[in-house]
Amino acid sequence: MASNPAGSNDPGLLLMISLAGGPKHGHAMLLDVKRFAGVQLGPGTLYGALSRLEEAGVVEALPAEGRRRPYRLTASGRGLLARRLEALRDAVQTGIERVGA
Amino acid sequence: MKRLLLRLYPARWRERYGDELLALVDEAGFGPRAALDMARGGMRERVHALRRAIVQGGAEMVIGPAWRHPTGWALVAALVLAPTLLLVGMSYLTYELGLSGLAAMMEPVNDAINRVRPLDLLLVAAPLIALLVALVPLLRLELRRGAEEGTTEAVVGLRLRAANLLVGLAALAVGGLLLGHIVVESVLQIGP
Repeated sequence: MASNPAGSNDPGLLLMISLAGGPKHGHAMLLDVKRFAGVQLGPGTLYGALSRLEEAGVVEALPAEGRRRPYRLTASGRGLLARRLEALRDAVQTGIERVGA
Repeated sequence: MKRLLLRLYPARWRERYGDELLALVDEAGFGPRAALDMARGGMRERVHALRRAIVQGGAEMVIGPAWRHPTGWALVAALVLAPTLLLVGMSYLTYELGLSGLAAMMEPVNDAINRVRPLDLLLVAAPLIALLVALVPLLRLELRRGAEEGTTEAVVGLRLRAANLLVGLAALAVGGLLLGHIVVESVLQIGP
Protein backbone atom coordinates (compact mmCIF):
# COMPACT_ATOMS: atom_id res chain seq x y z
CA MET A 1 0.00 0.00 0.00
CA ALA A 2 2.72 2.43 1.03
CA SER A 3 4.74 1.60 -2.08
CA ASN A 4 1.78 2.40 -4.26
CA PRO A 5 1.03 6.08 -3.66
CA ALA A 6 -0.42 6.73 -7.11
CA GLY A 7 -3.09 4.06 -6.72
CA SER A 8 -2.98 0.78 -8.63
CA ASN A 9 -6.74 0.73 -9.09
CA ASP A 10 -6.63 3.25 -11.93
CA PRO A 11 -4.22 2.00 -14.59
CA GLY A 12 -5.72 4.48 -17.07
CA LEU A 13 -4.57 7.42 -14.95
CA LEU A 14 -1.11 5.90 -14.55
CA LEU A 15 -0.79 5.45 -18.32
CA MET A 16 -1.91 9.04 -18.94
CA ILE A 17 0.72 10.29 -16.50
CA SER A 18 3.33 8.15 -18.23
CA LEU A 19 2.40 9.43 -21.69
CA ALA A 20 2.38 13.02 -20.45
CA GLY A 21 6.17 12.63 -20.45
CA GLY A 22 6.24 11.77 -24.16
CA PRO A 23 5.17 9.00 -26.55
CA LYS A 24 5.90 5.44 -25.42
CA HIS A 25 5.19 1.87 -26.45
CA GLY A 26 3.75 -0.76 -24.13
CA HIS A 27 6.95 -1.96 -22.49
CA ALA A 28 8.27 1.58 -21.97
CA MET A 29 4.98 2.52 -20.27
CA LEU A 30 5.21 -0.57 -18.07
CA LEU A 31 8.72 0.36 -16.91
CA ASP A 32 7.84 4.03 -16.46
CA VAL A 33 4.75 3.30 -14.32
CA LYS A 34 6.82 0.90 -12.22
CA ARG A 35 9.44 3.61 -11.74
CA PHE A 36 7.24 6.57 -10.78
CA ALA A 37 4.35 4.75 -9.04
CA GLY A 38 5.84 1.46 -7.88
CA VAL A 39 3.01 -0.35 -9.66
CA GLN A 40 3.66 -3.45 -11.76
CA LEU A 41 0.93 -3.43 -14.40
CA GLY A 42 0.16 -6.76 -16.06
CA PRO A 43 0.12 -6.92 -19.89
CA GLY A 44 -3.64 -7.51 -20.03
CA THR A 45 -4.33 -4.67 -17.61
CA LEU A 46 -2.07 -2.29 -19.53
CA TYR A 47 -3.55 -3.01 -22.95
CA GLY A 48 -7.09 -3.08 -21.54
CA ALA A 49 -6.63 0.41 -20.12
CA LEU A 50 -4.82 1.61 -23.25
CA SER A 51 -7.61 0.42 -25.56
CA ARG A 52 -10.16 2.19 -23.38
CA LEU A 53 -8.11 5.43 -23.49
CA GLU A 54 -7.78 5.20 -27.27
CA GLU A 55 -11.50 4.55 -27.64
CA ALA A 56 -12.18 7.69 -25.60
CA GLY A 57 -9.78 9.77 -27.71
CA VAL A 58 -7.48 10.37 -24.76
CA VAL A 59 -4.48 8.73 -26.43
CA GLU A 60 -3.64 8.03 -30.06
CA ALA A 61 -1.49 5.45 -31.74
CA LEU A 62 1.58 6.44 -33.74
CA PRO A 63 2.97 4.41 -36.67
CA ALA A 64 4.18 0.96 -35.60
CA GLU A 65 7.90 0.34 -35.06
CA GLY A 66 8.21 -3.35 -35.81
CA ARG A 67 5.93 -5.21 -33.43
CA ARG A 68 5.79 -2.24 -31.08
CA ARG A 69 3.47 0.72 -31.47
CA PRO A 70 4.05 3.95 -29.55
CA TYR A 71 1.16 5.99 -28.18
CA ARG A 72 0.87 9.63 -27.26
CA LEU A 73 -1.49 11.74 -25.23
CA THR A 74 -3.89 13.82 -27.36
CA ALA A 75 -4.58 17.48 -26.63
CA SER A 76 -7.93 16.61 -25.07
CA GLY A 77 -6.22 13.81 -23.12
CA ARG A 78 -3.73 16.29 -21.72
CA GLY A 79 -6.61 18.57 -20.63
CA LEU A 80 -8.44 15.65 -19.03
CA LEU A 81 -5.30 14.55 -17.18
CA ALA A 82 -4.76 18.08 -15.87
CA ARG A 83 -8.34 18.24 -14.57
CA ARG A 84 -8.08 14.80 -12.94
CA LEU A 85 -4.79 15.67 -11.27
CA GLU A 86 -6.26 18.96 -10.03
CA ALA A 87 -9.18 17.06 -8.49
CA LEU A 88 -6.77 14.55 -6.98
CA ARG A 89 -4.60 17.33 -5.59
CA ASP A 90 -7.64 18.85 -3.86
CA ALA A 91 -8.55 15.45 -2.42
CA VAL A 92 -4.97 14.78 -1.32
CA GLN A 93 -4.69 18.27 0.24
CA THR A 94 -7.92 17.76 2.15
CA GLY A 95 -6.71 14.36 3.33
CA ILE A 96 -3.37 15.74 4.48
CA GLU A 97 -5.09 18.53 6.44
CA ARG A 98 -7.49 16.09 8.08
CA VAL A 99 -4.83 13.62 9.22
CA GLY A 100 -2.64 16.51 10.33
CA ALA A 101 0.35 15.29 8.35
CA MET B 1 0.22 -20.58 -24.24
CA LYS B 2 0.37 -16.83 -24.90
CA ARG B 3 -1.48 -17.26 -28.20
CA LEU B 4 -4.03 -19.50 -26.51
CA LEU B 5 -4.70 -16.83 -23.88
CA LEU B 6 -5.02 -14.24 -26.63
CA ARG B 7 -7.95 -16.27 -27.98
CA LEU B 8 -9.86 -15.21 -24.86
CA TYR B 9 -10.06 -11.67 -26.27
CA PRO B 10 -12.77 -10.62 -28.77
CA ALA B 11 -11.67 -11.04 -32.41
CA ARG B 12 -11.80 -7.32 -33.18
CA TRP B 13 -9.71 -6.50 -30.12
CA ARG B 14 -7.17 -9.19 -31.08
CA GLU B 15 -6.84 -7.78 -34.59
CA ARG B 16 -6.11 -4.32 -33.24
CA TYR B 17 -3.97 -4.99 -30.16
CA GLY B 18 -3.03 -8.70 -30.30
CA ASP B 19 0.42 -8.35 -31.87
CA GLU B 20 1.36 -5.47 -29.57
CA LEU B 21 0.22 -7.38 -26.50
CA LEU B 22 2.30 -10.41 -27.51
CA ALA B 23 5.30 -8.16 -28.20
CA LEU B 24 4.92 -6.65 -24.72
CA VAL B 25 4.73 -10.11 -23.12
CA ASP B 26 7.86 -11.17 -25.04
CA GLU B 27 9.72 -8.11 -23.77
CA ALA B 28 8.43 -8.03 -20.19
CA GLY B 29 8.51 -11.79 -19.63
CA PHE B 30 5.76 -14.36 -19.40
CA GLY B 31 4.92 -16.16 -16.16
CA PRO B 32 1.90 -17.27 -14.15
CA ARG B 33 1.14 -13.70 -13.09
CA ALA B 34 1.18 -12.39 -16.67
CA ALA B 35 -0.91 -15.39 -17.79
CA LEU B 36 -3.53 -14.69 -15.12
CA ASP B 37 -3.56 -11.00 -16.02
CA MET B 38 -4.05 -11.84 -19.71
CA ALA B 39 -6.90 -14.22 -18.88
CA ARG B 40 -8.57 -11.60 -16.69
CA GLY B 41 -8.04 -8.97 -19.40
CA GLY B 42 -9.63 -11.23 -22.02
CA MET B 43 -12.74 -11.73 -19.91
CA ARG B 44 -12.91 -8.01 -19.19
CA GLU B 45 -12.71 -7.16 -22.90
CA ARG B 46 -15.43 -9.68 -23.75
CA VAL B 47 -17.74 -8.17 -21.13
CA HIS B 48 -16.87 -4.67 -22.34
CA ALA B 49 -17.58 -5.55 -25.99
CA LEU B 50 -20.88 -7.20 -25.08
CA ARG B 51 -21.97 -4.27 -22.92
CA ARG B 52 -21.04 -1.81 -25.65
CA ALA B 53 -22.93 -3.81 -28.26
CA ILE B 54 -26.08 -4.11 -26.16
CA VAL B 55 -26.23 -0.84 -24.25
CA GLN B 56 -24.67 1.69 -26.58
CA GLY B 57 -25.39 0.00 -29.88
CA GLY B 58 -23.04 0.12 -32.79
CA ALA B 59 -20.39 -2.45 -32.01
CA GLU B 60 -20.53 -5.67 -33.98
CA MET B 61 -20.21 -8.90 -32.12
CA VAL B 62 -20.66 -12.55 -32.94
CA ILE B 63 -21.63 -15.06 -30.27
CA GLY B 64 -21.13 -18.55 -31.65
CA PRO B 65 -19.08 -20.57 -29.18
CA ALA B 66 -18.93 -23.63 -31.44
CA TRP B 67 -19.25 -22.03 -34.88
CA ARG B 68 -15.73 -23.09 -35.74
CA HIS B 69 -14.94 -26.78 -36.22
CA PRO B 70 -18.56 -28.02 -36.47
CA THR B 71 -17.37 -31.46 -37.62
CA GLY B 72 -15.22 -31.78 -34.50
CA TRP B 73 -18.22 -30.98 -32.34
CA ALA B 74 -20.30 -33.55 -34.26
CA LEU B 75 -17.59 -36.15 -33.57
CA VAL B 76 -17.58 -35.32 -29.84
CA ALA B 77 -21.39 -35.59 -29.80
CA ALA B 78 -21.17 -38.99 -31.53
CA LEU B 79 -18.66 -40.18 -28.92
CA VAL B 80 -20.92 -39.00 -26.10
CA LEU B 81 -23.89 -40.76 -27.66
CA ALA B 82 -22.09 -43.98 -28.62
CA PRO B 83 -22.35 -45.94 -25.32
CA THR B 84 -26.09 -45.22 -24.97
CA LEU B 85 -26.68 -45.98 -28.63
CA LEU B 86 -24.83 -49.26 -28.26
CA LEU B 87 -26.75 -50.19 -25.11
CA VAL B 88 -30.15 -49.31 -26.60
CA GLY B 89 -29.34 -51.19 -29.82
CA MET B 90 -28.14 -54.27 -27.98
CA SER B 91 -31.16 -54.19 -25.64
CA TYR B 92 -33.51 -53.94 -28.61
CA LEU B 93 -31.86 -56.90 -30.34
CA THR B 94 -31.86 -58.95 -27.14
CA TYR B 95 -35.22 -58.24 -25.59
CA GLU B 96 -37.41 -57.06 -28.46
CA LEU B 97 -36.14 -59.27 -31.28
CA GLY B 98 -35.34 -62.12 -28.92
CA LEU B 99 -31.76 -62.81 -30.01
CA SER B 100 -31.07 -65.03 -27.02
CA GLY B 101 -27.38 -65.32 -27.83
CA LEU B 102 -26.91 -61.73 -26.73
CA ALA B 103 -28.71 -62.11 -23.41
CA ALA B 104 -25.66 -63.58 -21.68
CA MET B 105 -23.66 -60.58 -22.81
CA MET B 106 -26.30 -58.05 -21.75
CA GLU B 107 -26.96 -59.35 -18.25
CA PRO B 108 -23.63 -58.33 -16.65
CA VAL B 109 -23.87 -54.96 -18.38
CA ASN B 110 -27.37 -54.39 -17.03
CA ASP B 111 -26.25 -55.50 -13.56
CA ALA B 112 -23.39 -53.02 -13.62
CA ILE B 113 -25.69 -50.19 -14.70
CA ASN B 114 -28.20 -51.04 -11.97
CA ARG B 115 -25.44 -51.18 -9.35
CA VAL B 116 -23.67 -47.94 -10.27
CA ARG B 117 -26.39 -45.29 -10.24
CA PRO B 118 -24.32 -42.40 -11.72
CA LEU B 119 -23.54 -44.62 -14.73
CA ASP B 120 -27.26 -45.12 -15.29
CA LEU B 121 -27.87 -41.37 -15.08
CA LEU B 122 -24.98 -40.63 -17.44
CA LEU B 123 -26.29 -43.07 -20.03
CA VAL B 124 -29.77 -41.53 -19.82
CA ALA B 125 -28.44 -37.96 -20.00
CA ALA B 126 -26.02 -38.69 -22.87
CA PRO B 127 -28.55 -38.23 -25.72
CA LEU B 128 -29.52 -34.77 -24.44
CA ILE B 129 -25.86 -33.76 -24.03
CA ALA B 130 -25.04 -35.15 -27.48
CA LEU B 131 -27.99 -33.29 -29.00
CA LEU B 132 -26.76 -29.98 -27.59
CA VAL B 133 -23.12 -30.59 -28.56
CA ALA B 134 -24.14 -31.56 -32.11
CA LEU B 135 -26.54 -28.66 -32.71
CA VAL B 136 -24.85 -25.72 -30.96
CA PRO B 137 -22.33 -25.31 -33.86
CA LEU B 138 -25.27 -24.69 -36.19
CA LEU B 139 -26.33 -21.54 -34.34
CA ARG B 140 -24.81 -18.14 -33.79
CA LEU B 141 -26.02 -14.76 -32.64
CA GLU B 142 -24.78 -11.62 -34.38
CA LEU B 143 -25.13 -8.20 -32.82
CA ARG B 144 -24.85 -5.55 -35.52
CA ARG B 145 -25.02 -1.80 -35.83
CA GLY B 146 -28.69 -0.88 -36.21
CA ALA B 147 -30.05 1.35 -38.98
CA GLU B 148 -30.84 4.04 -36.40
CA GLU B 149 -28.08 5.72 -34.44
CA GLY B 150 -27.34 3.99 -31.15
CA THR B 151 -29.35 0.85 -31.86
CA THR B 152 -28.26 -2.75 -32.17
CA GLU B 153 -29.82 -5.47 -34.28
CA ALA B 154 -29.66 -9.09 -33.18
CA VAL B 155 -29.52 -11.62 -36.01
CA VAL B 156 -29.76 -15.34 -35.33
CA GLY B 157 -27.71 -17.34 -37.82
CA LEU B 158 -28.64 -20.95 -38.59
CA ARG B 159 -26.79 -23.31 -40.91
CA LEU B 160 -27.40 -26.92 -41.82
CA ARG B 161 -24.57 -29.44 -41.77
CA ALA B 162 -25.20 -33.09 -42.51
CA ALA B 163 -22.82 -34.54 -39.89
CA ASN B 164 -24.26 -32.44 -37.06
CA LEU B 165 -27.86 -33.03 -38.11
CA LEU B 166 -27.28 -36.77 -38.40
CA VAL B 167 -25.79 -37.04 -34.90
CA GLY B 168 -28.51 -34.70 -33.56
CA LEU B 169 -31.27 -36.86 -35.07
CA ALA B 170 -29.63 -40.03 -33.74
CA ALA B 171 -29.48 -38.43 -30.28
CA LEU B 172 -33.16 -37.47 -30.55
CA ALA B 173 -34.12 -40.99 -31.62
CA VAL B 174 -32.11 -42.69 -28.86
CA GLY B 175 -33.33 -40.17 -26.27
CA GLY B 176 -36.93 -40.67 -27.40
CA LEU B 177 -36.62 -44.45 -27.22
CA LEU B 178 -35.09 -44.27 -23.74
CA LEU B 179 -37.72 -41.84 -22.51
CA GLY B 180 -40.50 -43.99 -23.94
CA HIS B 181 -39.00 -47.04 -22.27
CA ILE B 182 -38.72 -45.27 -18.91
CA VAL B 183 -42.30 -43.95 -19.10
CA VAL B 184 -43.74 -47.33 -20.07
CA GLU B 185 -41.78 -49.39 -17.54
CA SER B 186 -41.39 -47.06 -14.57
CA VAL B 187 -44.33 -44.65 -14.70
CA LEU B 188 -47.09 -46.72 -16.30
CA GLN B 189 -45.54 -49.95 -14.96
CA ILE B 190 -46.41 -51.87 -18.12
CA GLY B 191 -44.28 -54.69 -19.35
CA PRO B 192 -42.49 -57.74 -18.03
